[in-house]
Amino acid sequence: MTPHPIIRFSNATFSYKGHTALEGVTLDVHEGEFVGVIGPNGSGKTTLLKGLLGLIYPSAGSLQIFDCACEALRCEHRARIGYLPQKERTDPNYPITIWEVAMMGRYGAIGLLKRPKRQDREIVLESLEAVGMVSLKDHPFGQLSGGQQQRVLIARALSQRPDILLLDEPTTGIDATTQKRLSDLICRLHQQYKLTIVFVTHDINMISPIAETLIVLNNRLHAKGRPSEILTKEILSPVYGEEVIVAKRDQKPYIIVHDTHDHA
Amino acid sequence: MLELLSYGFIQRALLASLLIGLVCAVIGVFAVLRGMTFIGAGTAHSAFAGVTFAFWIGFPPFLMALVFGLSTVWITSYVQEKGKMKPDVPIGVFYTFTMALAIFFIGLMKTSRPEVFGYLFGSILSVTQSELIVIFALSVVILFIVGLFFKEFHFISFDQDMAEASGIPAKKLSFLLLNLISLAVVIALKSVGAMLVFALLVIPAAAAQQWATNMRSMMITSAIIGVASSWMGVLLSYWFDVPSGATIVMFSAGVFLFSVLFSGRQRMGQTS
Ligand SMILES: Nc1ncnc2c1ncn2[C@@H]1O[C@H](COP(=O)(O)OP(=O)(O)OP(=O)(O)O)[C@@H](O)[C@H]1O
Ligand SMILES: [Mg+2]
Repeated sequence: MTPHPIIRFSNATFSYKGHTALEGVTLDVHEGEFVGVIGPNGSGKTTLLKGLLGLIYPSAGSLQIFDCACEALRCEHRARIGYLPQKERTDPNYPITIWEVAMMGRYGAIGLLKRPKRQDREIVLESLEAVGMVSLKDHPFGQLSGGQQQRVLIARALSQRPDILLLDEPTTGIDATTQKRLSDLICRLHQQYKLTIVFVTHDINMISPIAETLIVLNNRLHAKGRPSEILTKEILSPVYGEEVIVAKRDQKPYIIVHDTHDHA
Repeated sequence: MLELLSYGFIQRALLASLLIGLVCAVIGVFAVLRGMTFIGAGTAHSAFAGVTFAFWIGFPPFLMALVFGLSTVWITSYVQEKGKMKPDVPIGVFYTFTMALAIFFIGLMKTSRPEVFGYLFGSILSVTQSELIVIFALSVVILFIVGLFFKEFHFISFDQDMAEASGIPAKKLSFLLLNLISLAVVIALKSVGAMLVFALLVIPAAAAQQWATNMRSMMITSAIIGVASSWMGVLLSYWFDVPSGATIVMFSAGVFLFSVLFSGRQRMGQTS
């Protein structure tokens, strides 16, 4: 028995002002699946997530989430999707504490005109515990380091008690140790909560051991498969250029991508 | 001092400036954090155009200020959505257009109407009973709506896309917030006038942000600075016979400068 797809792209095209960012994507994601998304800059990774969030609609084809067309996605559907946006600098003087940021994840579920209840506070506490940020909960968010902010934003996404977690380059610009801790954390959450995860990253070597499925974008769906099927020169070099090297390290494929622009 | 409070016009001025200072300071927090302050400046000028239009055709100025102020929000939002541009562009166009309109209407008036300039520069000491009632009613409405949607306004100020994505009707609430900013500006015309109302919206909130580490403390500090500045303006303008609007703005600007200079030290002390 194959599990039911929770996300279904059918020949979906997404454009901005007539400029096509992502064309003709057909893709199913099943409940509880861990999908890694890779592709060069501007290949449409963030666009794919924005489609899933219902922030942009397909200009052709269709996208269904929870069996609901993304155009018709209602607030209660959106509340079931947790999202970690691609990193943008927050104003360090924005007056908000870690606790307040994490609590915002509950606002969709709490609904308009209502205040957080004890149950909401318990969920927020648990989310902050999961990312190891409880002890700093009254600290101003803006004064945290980039990696700590990412952890708090993951806690906010978890506070939604989502069915789907969308992560847009959560480990970019973060030191190697924190990166490892974050990816371990995401793996653990995937197992613990049976979360469906769509994880966008540039770090092929970080994502390939943890994702069940890898997809490669290049303004269309270039490839999809198990990481071992994807990490081949045949698949990667049309996207990343001829300079891709698939090496072996500890019996596992290890990708070295040279930035071709440096030589151009 | 007590004798002062027995004058009806002083009572009205103090009450009106309390409400205006409070409302602008509270709304200003969201406007500043959300980066929507420009709509305040845009509304101020078009509301003033509304006032001049009202004097020209003989309508109640407050009503016309309201109509012009709110239509600024609707028109600029529509143009922004249609043209997919940043909000400062349509507001910038509107801002100058409505100022031109105001000058145009003043030119059309058969007789010179000095009261018009009360709306340009503010004249809190001349607030009438009926104006006070309107200010009171609108203030209650604005504060009530802010109370209802406080957590959502906080969320969309922090991150609009995120709020939308996590199941908050962020676009609608953002539009509502714009309308509230514009209402706050309209009721403040009487106290500081169209030229300076932007200051009442921005300065208390910006000064408060220097001290605050969470939303509640920023709100409270902003409200205190807003009300205190407004009252100082009323009292100083009565005692020394100086323009009230300018006094309010200069006093709050002083608080802002003080906050910038001295809060940094406090913050460094906290984190070390
Ligand atoms: N808001 C926007 N308006 C217009 N064009 C956009 C917008 N956002 C993205 N694009 C375009 O769509 C294409 C895909 O962008 P997208 O942000 O999805 O890329 P990405 O794969 O996430 O890139 P990166 O690795 O740099 O984050 C790019 O060509 C980009 O220029
Ligand atoms: Mg991106």
